[in-house]
Amino acid sequence: MENVMEINVLRLLEKTAQKYGDKTAYSDTDNSITFAEIEDKAKRMGSALAEKVTPRSPVAVMTGRNVLTPVVFLGAVYAGCFYAPMDATQPLARLKDILSVLNPSVIVADDEGMKTASQLGFEGELINTADLFEHEIDQPKLDEIARNSCADDPLYVIFTSGSTGKPKGVITSMQSLMCYISAYREVMDINDTDVLGNQSPLDYIAAIRDIYLPIFTGASMFIIPKQCFVIPSELFKVMNERKITSVGWSVSVFTIAVKLKAFEGEVPKYLKKVCFSGSVMPCSTLRVWQEYLPETKFVNQYGPTECTASCTYYEVNDKVSDEDVLPIGRAYRNYRVFLLDDDNNPVKTGEQGEICVSGPILALGYYNNKELTDKSFIQNPLNHAFNELIYKSGDYGVFREDGVLEFRGRKDRQIKHLGHRVELSEIESAALRLDTIKDACAMYLKEKELIYLFYTGTATVKEAAVHFRGILPGFMVPRKLVALDEMPHLSNGKINMQALKELMK
Amino acid sequence: MKEQLMGVLEEIRPDVDFENEKQLITDGVLDSFDIVSLVTALNDEFDIEIEVGNLVPDNFNSIEGMMALIEKLQDED
Repeated sequence: MENVMEINVLRLLEKTAQKYGDKTAYSDTDNSITFAEIEDKAKRMGSALAEKVTPRSPVAVMTGRNVLTPVVFLGAVYAGCFYAPMDATQPLARLKDILSVLNPSVIVADDEGMKTASQLGFEGELINTADLFEHEIDQPKLDEIARNSCADDPLYVIFTSGSTGKPKGVITSMQSLMCYISAYREVMDINDTDVLGNQSPLDYIAAIRDIYLPIFTGASMFIIPKQCFVIPSELFKVMNERKITSVGWSVSVFTIAVKLKAFEGEVPKYLKKVCFSGSVMPCSTLRVWQEYLPETKFVNQYGPTECTASCTYYEVNDKVSDEDVLPIGRAYRNYRVFLLDDDNNPVKTGEQGEICVSGPILALGYYNNKELTDKSFIQNPLNHAFNELIYKSGDYGVFREDGVLEFRGRKDRQIKHLGHRVELSEIESAALRLDTIKDACAMYLKEKELIYLFYTGTATVKEAAVHFRGILPGFMVPRKLVALDEMPHLSNGKINMQALKELMK
Repeated sequence: MKEQLMGVLEEIRPDVDFENEKQLITDGVLDSFDIVSLVTALNDEFDIEIEVGNLVPDNFNSIEGMMALIEKLQDED
């Protein structure tokens, strides 16, 4: 297992379960589950699902933040399907939008998720996970599915903000996941002695590390209660109780911990390996973490969901000062990362270009959206000899002389807000769904991490806020709502964003 | 002080009924983004310094809890 790369995640699970059977794989505050139990339960669920769904079709999953959720995902994979996690705490309107893109024949939900799922007007079959876990294992059926599976079969669809106002589903193959987790494991040096501390919601892309690293290495993973990240007085205490050694968290969590002075309580003394991603890490935040954890390894990861969560990594070897800017580093193994200018020509070292990625880690596209897929995933313009798709990230970068990549901002109006990707135009589309809003422009004040919405119309701020809460996930709801008598425009008719920028100060 | 506090809260979450909601944290009404905005705003508005030890659900579950916290921290100055 150590030296041969397994290309199927289920075979890897079975090998790990053989070696570490009774060891705890996942735990949360209330429960824990061993590797052997995961295999057993996922096979039961896969056998049950296989009677209802065809391979290579989506299984929507609405389950909570607990140890069974990853098992449900794996159950869908045993059935030869791919899973699409849906956070049941999102507004119903958004869940319906996701369903309209995904169009699954089944939704699998736990007791809590069933309550929400039953309100979605879903016409397919709604199945309780408890029933699936009761089913007998149908080994011949599972063997047949396994024999017919291919390395590029889709594994999951994860939904992210879409600029047209509807969420888009990034669909990713199993082989992409295998490449990424192997590469991440190599960089972070994760092994069977590690205890991972999960922060990411399980329906979000960053959770794939926490879910799959135990399967790759025999490490354990603890799902840290969400409340610890809201009110961090308990966060480090819980990490010490659980002896957490490694985390891969969104930058916002590190920033929040520093802003709320979490280190003045306990210090997470077992923590040795830290990866952060999601947005640019302010060095004033990292410096504080380095001071309290001088022996800990810190790695900056960069990359979009379309390239299986990542592209590049940079291990921070020196103590940083507040004014430093961290590079995003070098490509992970099995990632090809290069820069193109606006005319699709290569750029020289030291010059700015758009960050482009190719390799087996490329997503299969946006689910049920060929137009957008074809626009975003294109033939490598530098390669005229054979098929090679690339993903143009929309991010700008510059290669230094030593081959290290630096991040230089965004090409369009997509922002990274508290670890999440947000299309400002999606917020505007959402605003215009309220009849009493005539015109809207969303802006981001980066220094204060605040999303603003300027609007005209008769809606009061309270009405607008309630409207947003009803259709957008919490992180996308603008924190500052500003009603204007008139939207400032440029002579060409476009909204004068410079004028609005002045209003954010 | 209550009016001033309501002003801060309305600014951060105009959609929440702070008069009647008594489990803002425990029920997940406020999220981590709200807490960061809230702590910064309360520190500025009331000239206090909220510390990690103060970040427990009781102090933020209701306006009464928040008022008690603000008063306590103002007295310490």
